[in-house]
Amino acid sequence: MIKFILIVNKLGQTRLAQYYTTGLSINKRVALENEITRRCLSRKDKECSFLEFRDLKVIYRRYASLFFLVGVDEEENELGILEFIHCLVETLDRYFENVCELDLMFNIDKAYMILDEMALNGNIIETNKKNIIAPLHIIDQVSKKLK
Amino acid sequence: MSMQVRDLIKAVRGCKTAQKIREVITRESALIRNSFRKEDKINRPRNIYKLIYIHMLGFPSEFGQLECLKLIANPSYIGKRIGYLGLSILVTENQEVLFMSTNIIRNDLSSEDRYVVGLALAALGNIGSPEMLRDLAPEIEKLMESESSYLKKKATLVAIRTIRLVPESVDRFIGKVRTLIGEKNHGVVLTGLQLVLSIVKTEPETIVKFRKLVPGLVRMLKSLVNAGYSSEYDFRGTADPFLQYNILRLLRYLGEGSKKSSKLMADILTQVGTSGGISKNVEIAILYEAVSTILSIESDSKLRVTAINTLSRFLSGRHNNSKYVALNTLLKAVNTEPKSLKRHRKVIVECLKDKDISIRRRALDLVFGIMDKKNVESLTQELLDCLPKAEKEFRYDITAKICTAIEKFSPNDKWQIDTLIKVLTIGGQYIRDDVSSMMTSVIGRNPDLQYYTSKKLFNILLDDRYRNQTFLQVSSWVIGEYGDILMQKSEKDGELINTTQALDLFQILLESSRTTDETKYYILTALIKFSTRIEGYDELIKKIIKPYREHVNVELQQRACEFFLLFDYNEIRDPILDRMPIFVEKEIELEIEEEVSENINKGENNDIQKNTQIIQNQINVNQNIQTVQNTQNTGINELLMLNTETKKTQPQNKQDSLNFLQEIFSGSGSRSNNNNNNMNNNNNNNNNKTGGQGLGLDLGLGLGLGLGMNNQSQRQNQMQTQRQTQQNQMQNQRQTQQNQRQINQNQNQNKNQNQSQNKSQNQNQNQQKVQNQPFVVYEKNGIKIEMNFKVGNIRGTPAVMSIIKTTNISSIPISNYLLQVAVPKTLKAQLSQPSGQTIPPNGNGLVNQQLQIIKLVQQKTQLSILLRVTYVINGQKIVENKEVSNIPIFF
Repeated sequence: MIKFILIVNKLGQTRLAQYYTTGLSINKRVALENEITRRCLSRKDKECSFLEFRDLKVIYRRYASLFFLVGVDEEENELGILEFIHCLVETLDRYFENVCELDLMFNIDKAYMILDEMALNGNIIETNKKNIIAPLHIIDQVSKKLK
Repeated sequence: MSMQVRDLIKAVRGCKTAQKIREVITRESALIRNSFRKEDKINRPRNIYKLIYIHMLGFPSEFGQLECLKLIANPSYIGKRIGYLGLSILVTENQEVLFMSTNIIRNDLSSEDRYVVGLALAALGNIGSPEMLRDLAPEIEKLMESESSYLKKKATLVAIRTIRLVPESVDRFIGKVRTLIGEKNHGVVLTGLQLVLSIVKTEPETIVKFRKLVPGLVRMLKSLVNAGYSSEYDFRGTADPFLQYNILRLLRYLGEGSKKSSKLMADILTQVGTSGGISKNVEIAILYEAVSTILSIESDSKLRVTAINTLSRFLSGRHNNSKYVALNTLLKAVNTEPKSLKRHRKVIVECLKDKDISIRRRALDLVFGIMDKKNVESLTQELLDCLPKAEKEFRYDITAKICTAIEKFSPNDKWQIDTLIKVLTIGGQYIRDDVSSMMTSVIGRNPDLQYYTSKKLFNILLDDRYRNQTFLQVSSWVIGEYGDILMQKSEKDGELINTTQALDLFQILLESSRTTDETKYYILTALIKFSTRIEGYDELIKKIIKPYREHVNVELQQRACEFFLLFDYNEIRDPILDRMPIFVEKEIELEIEEEVSENINKGENNDIQKNTQIIQNQINVNQNIQTVQNTQNTGINELLMLNTETKKTQPQNKQDSLNFLQEIFSGSGSRSNNNNNNMNNNNNNNNNKTGGQGLGLDLGLGLGLGLGMNNQSQRQNQMQTQRQTQQNQMQNQRQTQQNQRQINQNQNQNKNQNQSQNKSQNQNQNQQKVQNQPFVVYEKNGIKIEMNFKVGNIRGTPAVMSIIKTTNISSIPISNYLLQVAVPKTLKAQLSQPSGQTIPPNGNGLVNQQLQIIKLVQQKTQLSILLRVTYVINGQKIVENKEVSNIPIFF
């Protein structure tokens, strides 16, 4: 099961955070993010993409200036999650057309929607890019009409 | 007027310091709050949007929670979208807001627009609380049968959450599985599989039932594997890897413990486990899952060997990620497949040299895992080869493993000594303390090896490359202790070792600036021992010791003075510095244990030493209770009370807490047993230490230099006792684990006892009862008002939270329903908006309302409430007051 999904830039600033566990106070959350990002950023390219953090495994992958981090429990397939991260990036890329940090910052609602289409409650729902983006396109059309 | 979202983001991005960001956010938060207060509907979505951003930056955003509710209650889709987004991000623990959202979500779930339903489902899936999910379960169940696969998969995931948070609801969803898995849409099948997994995990008995699915799953997997290219779910040439590995994972659960099911899977698993390439991450992911499944289910040995071989292929591959997972999986298989694992020794050992520390760590564990009596020598050699290049922390790990390997598998003592010497020389100072204590004890019990060891150490000592402190300490101890044997035998053998040389060496080491004071203690002791072991060197030794009588280090100075004086007491010098007795660890331990338990049985708990131990115990136990509690979040009130009390007393007054503890622990048999356990291991620890001291005292008594000598010989003993204490520590750990378990069991007893002791705890019990069942406060004209109470905390002040449910069982609808609440002046009540003003007849609906009561004074008060109920029934307005004072809640 996925416990959280984080997108941070290489300065360690959070750009998107989705938690699937409840009961995390804001202070604890910030501390957790700082700690994980710090450890993740300090890793070298040669090292494997997994790090152990408390009772979680964190799987991370770097795309240009953005780090994608996913925290999972013991049972999850680490390599599968790497693939999921890649799928998420490709989907964001397809929707935003060459996604970059600013796209995420200024369209955080859309980014969250994409994530919600892909994973819910810590489980993966959908991995087909077309299916994921379809509802977003509909919303975009509706809001254009309204304007 | 607050700014646009875009401008806020730009403003934050423009800030150069964290302080500046804080300023911008604080200003903006104030504006947003203002706008909320003014009920600014137009800017509400924008404000929530901004709050989401603010929340992400790690700033407080709770004040937006209620606004999210207003947004989702809004019919416009765009408002709803932001509202739900805000709800799932900003609202985390706030049960109130969640509770209030239930009805709105219920409405949205039955909306015509499937995207609205989708939003509601997504919010439920991310933040749904147990109460909400319990309430909405029928709707979710219905949506799982919806025609749209978009809603079906989302509803299924909400179902998974429901099962996780409300396990008893599992039966509701079992029937849905078959149709979900039979679907064509991959997303639905995927969620269906995950649903089965969560059902199986919550209710393991259902596995038998679900085994019927195996043939279908196998067929599905087969078609995916053979599919080749499918445009819809293709991931770099692999058809839907997510579906594939989820099927494999489910098969793992279903195959475990069933030979029949495992047999059915064997073919496809062989195909998946052997055919795939290992060049792409996707392929490896599936292979990895397949291998884990093969190793977990009841597969035949041939298939298992193939699985291990596949993992070994990962290890020799290039990808670090696959190496990592392979090592992890192999670690799990160490106990079941030791033989086939050993065949891959070479690759595993190779991983010890990997650049990535996490891989090296795992490889080390694995190397240790495959170690046995036969290969211990060669594998230890491999570990030793890694030592020089390893970084500090890793060196520590390696030496620790070597020590354990020696303990478990050492073929003979000579090998053990050789290995330990290698560890000492190569490992430098980053080695475990065990090494030195192991070394001294093994030499002590092997008279034949004493010459061999001391000669070897002496020769290495001559070479200044290996002069790390631990090595110096051990070797000077050994040479001092067995100096006579070394000198006599080496003379016979014609070795070029003589006493003058040894003394010179010691002097050089003493004078070297690289030698630490602690090492110098050892050297001085070795020197004084030399004086009794070998005759004729007293003057030379005196000369070496003399300057240290004025050394800056007090300890060193004291030793030098005492040793110097000792030369004047020849008749006692020999017995004091006599050879250390052979150290037998296990027997000593047993004796102490017996002694201690005897003492405890006699009830001799009164001396100071033991009192301190009791306090220690208490702290242990408290910690245990706390940990147990942390794991059981259900909140056992009695214990909570108990804990806070003890927490307070601990630092303030030890005596108090002691009394308190004695009160608690002077009880039932099984409990004091538990206590005994605890005490046993603490006493063990202490007795070991005092045991050592005792030895020293015996030697030093009647000397006039009692204390100093005591210190000195104690230090000699230290090396031996060190090891003992460490073993005890391990025991301690084991025992605390046991204790935890025991405390778990004892919790019930704890409860009972405390209640009889304490009246307030009695009240607590009542309180719990009340909390569990709703309390009917009003019943008239078919209207029934039920309240359930929950005692808790709001921002540090004790508070009672209550959910008020009003139902109407009469056949007449009720309108204009209004409930007002008043409480005594010592309390403060806050009532939320009701979920409606009308109550449909025949119990077909209810009005929900939340009540929060905060205490304003210090002392305990009983809860009493004055209610005013106003409603219109049959066109007639009824106003009624009612006092509710019989609520057994004290807080």
